[in-house]
Amino acid sequence: MALVPRRSLTSLGARTLDLVDAVTDLVRVAAGTVSGAVFTYWRGTRPKGEIARQMHAIGNRSLLFVMVTLGFVGMVMVYQTCLLTTQVVDGRGQVGAQFARLLVLDVGPSLTAMMLATRVGAGIAAEIGSMKVTEQIDALRMSAVTPVDYLIVPRFFACVLMTVVLSIFGMAASWAAGGLTGYYSFQINPRTFFDLSMVAPAHVVLGMTKAVAYGAAIPIVAGWCGLRARGSSEGVGAATTAAVIGSSFAVIVLDFIISAIGLIFWGAGL
Amino acid sequence: MIALRGLHKAFGGRPVLAGVDLEVSRGEVLFVIGTSGVGKSVTIKHLVGLLRVDAGEIWLDGARIDALPERAYAAIRRRVAMVFQSSTLFDSMTIAENVALPLRKHGRLRMAEALADARRRLVEVGLGEFADRWPAELSDGMRKRAAIARALTLDPEVVLFDEPTTGLDPINARRVDRLIRALADERGVTAIVVSHDLASIFSTADRIAFLYQGGVRMCGTPAEVQASADPVVQQFITGRSSGPMETPGF
Amino acid sequence: MILQRTLTTLGARSMAVARDAGGVFVLLLEVLRSLVPPSMDGRELMRNLYKMGYRSVPIVVLTALFVGALMVVQLAAFVKQFGATALVGWGTGYAVFREVGPILIGLMFSGRVGANNTAELATMTVTDQIDGLQALAIDPIRYLVVPRVLAMIVCLVALTVIGDLVALIGAMAMSQVVLDIHPLTLWYSLVDNLSTADFLHGVYKSMVFGAAIALSSCYFGLTVKGGAVGVGRAVNAAVVGAAVSICFLDFLMTYLTA
Repeated sequence: MALVPRRSLTSLGARTLDLVDAVTDLVRVAAGTVSGAVFTYWRGTRPKGEIARQMHAIGNRSLLFVMVTLGFVGMVMVYQTCLLTTQVVDGRGQVGAQFARLLVLDVGPSLTAMMLATRVGAGIAAEIGSMKVTEQIDALRMSAVTPVDYLIVPRFFACVLMTVVLSIFGMAASWAAGGLTGYYSFQINPRTFFDLSMVAPAHVVLGMTKAVAYGAAIPIVAGWCGLRARGSSEGVGAATTAAVIGSSFAVIVLDFIISAIGLIFWGAGL
Repeated sequence: MIALRGLHKAFGGRPVLAGVDLEVSRGEVLFVIGTSGVGKSVTIKHLVGLLRVDAGEIWLDGARIDALPERAYAAIRRRVAMVFQSSTLFDSMTIAENVALPLRKHGRLRMAEALADARRRLVEVGLGEFADRWPAELSDGMRKRAAIARALTLDPEVVLFDEPTTGLDPINARRVDRLIRALADERGVTAIVVSHDLASIFSTADRIAFLYQGGVRMCGTPAEVQASADPVVQQFITGRSSGPMETPGF
Repeated sequence: MILQRTLTTLGARSMAVARDAGGVFVLLLEVLRSLVPPSMDGRELMRNLYKMGYRSVPIVVLTALFVGALMVVQLAAFVKQFGATALVGWGTGYAVFREVGPILIGLMFSGRVGANNTAELATMTVTDQIDGLQALAIDPIRYLVVPRVLAMIVCLVALTVIGDLVALIGAMAMSQVVLDIHPLTLWYSLVDNLSTADFLHGVYKSMVFGAAIALSSCYFGLTVKGGAVGVGRAVNAAVVGAAVSICFLDFLMTYLTA
């Protein structure tokens, strides 16, 4: 009887220690990435053309994925909003303008980042995780290369840039698909629909800030998960899973924080 | 009992088996030997339908089985069991649960009965006290013996062993050899063993089939193989690095 | 020259997508065929229900809290501008029940459970455990895939219902804080304007999403090639496949059930 609470206390203690250890690791990777990006990366022996290669891997190879998913989401959003607005009074004229505002302010960058968290986050963790379990990371350290500088920093640059770019492409796809849905299902004139009058500079600033923040968070979280991989194929699988869930969650939390800050700053004007 | 006729198999355009002919009679221990990558495992995987032939015939007890649909192989797999090189114990189950699984699925036993039977069978292979451990907690030799116990649960007529002694220390390897020999001698089980472990080949085999360049180079008793004048066979059994044998990559 | 290369890449990629989509569809047919006669490994089902459902509750609750709060933050500017406080419950409920809840919880579920499942099956595949199962005359579809598909559908529906409710709590808390709207006001605005149909719309979606996530994750897990690297790649492909399926099926279901 007396053993039970002691054992659960021990396991609680062990889990707390694990958590502390994990968080310390995350902070270390994040700090290493940022300081690497600002200071050491450009001075050190950086792998040539790596940023371009990562931009291709993260950007080009996600373009279709992002545009297809955002396109579908755009159609659904317009469809549902039209259903809602036609229930009470005919507010179809406002749908396009409001949709554009929401797209720029939140849905475009956030949903693009959710998609990138699954595709890019999983990819980065899988790649770095496999290197970890096959002892390639240790080999890097033996040749006096910092793994964070070598592996995460180029992905960091590429991902920040590409999240912004893909967000814009995603928004465009979503906007176009939404416009088509409005026209074909609810007879909204494209001229009425494609209306940017509700989009203020503040919306663009906030939306792009989100894109940059997501783009920074995904490689850091995914790289952190990859570097913590242990064991063999199970370890890589677990790291990849953790990266997907971790970076998706990071996107949701950052979205909330930045949106709240925006609301405090601009208030009703937003 | 088992006959392979003109077995052909290619992977991605690269032929691995190019006309393998082999006969196995009931109750004998046949060793299939040869260098790595020559297609030994590929050959035996055809017998239980894990791989399908490109050309050729496979006969089991007078019935042709190479063109059966996947579902029909269930009946064959109960008669022909296989022990894999990597043991393939299921990570999510204890050793006893692993052995109980086929009993539960095919013997229609309830969980408690199946587990009791599984423990009995684990005692037979000397793993009685490890029944409730997880596969990851056991040594390679123990995992191999647990896998053999699992393969034997349905009382198969034929057991295929894929490199049963590779990666084991000599003591565990000889223990596995004795287990295979006892199966044949005491229960009349036919065993086909893929191996390149010379010690187990010559201590355990009734007959040896030597695979080379996609076909059976020679087939005979251990004494015949040892007396063979074929330079390729001689090079393999004496383990010389130079000789007529072409090993890929060197 | 560039055009030719682009077209070649596009063609190769379409072929790969078509092959995977076909593979998932074939798996669906095999699962359906395995349901007659209905027999299932009860232990596998319970194990997966526990692992996929019970242990996903914390992440779903956390996500839903943030999502509910986020909905209010998004609506806040609009509400302040027009003083439309009576609409907050309606708008939040409509969006969360019909779209945001099923999609975001589906994506999180795919990331946690689908990815985990792919990793587990892929590890079993690369270590020959699937062959081992077949050699014991046990059908991997019936033994491994069917219970997982069923477990994922049940779990995702349950988690979506939980998530919907938790998101409302998040929305209530947030609207009290930033808009000074009493939780009950929000609640009445919701129950007065929304019907069970809106709620069920999301539940049906989560059912379909659960099946899509399960099939995608099992397919990529069972067709993995090439060791530890392959396992990572399979997980990646599974979550991407699930995300595309969720967005596409969401669109399809919105049209069909509107």
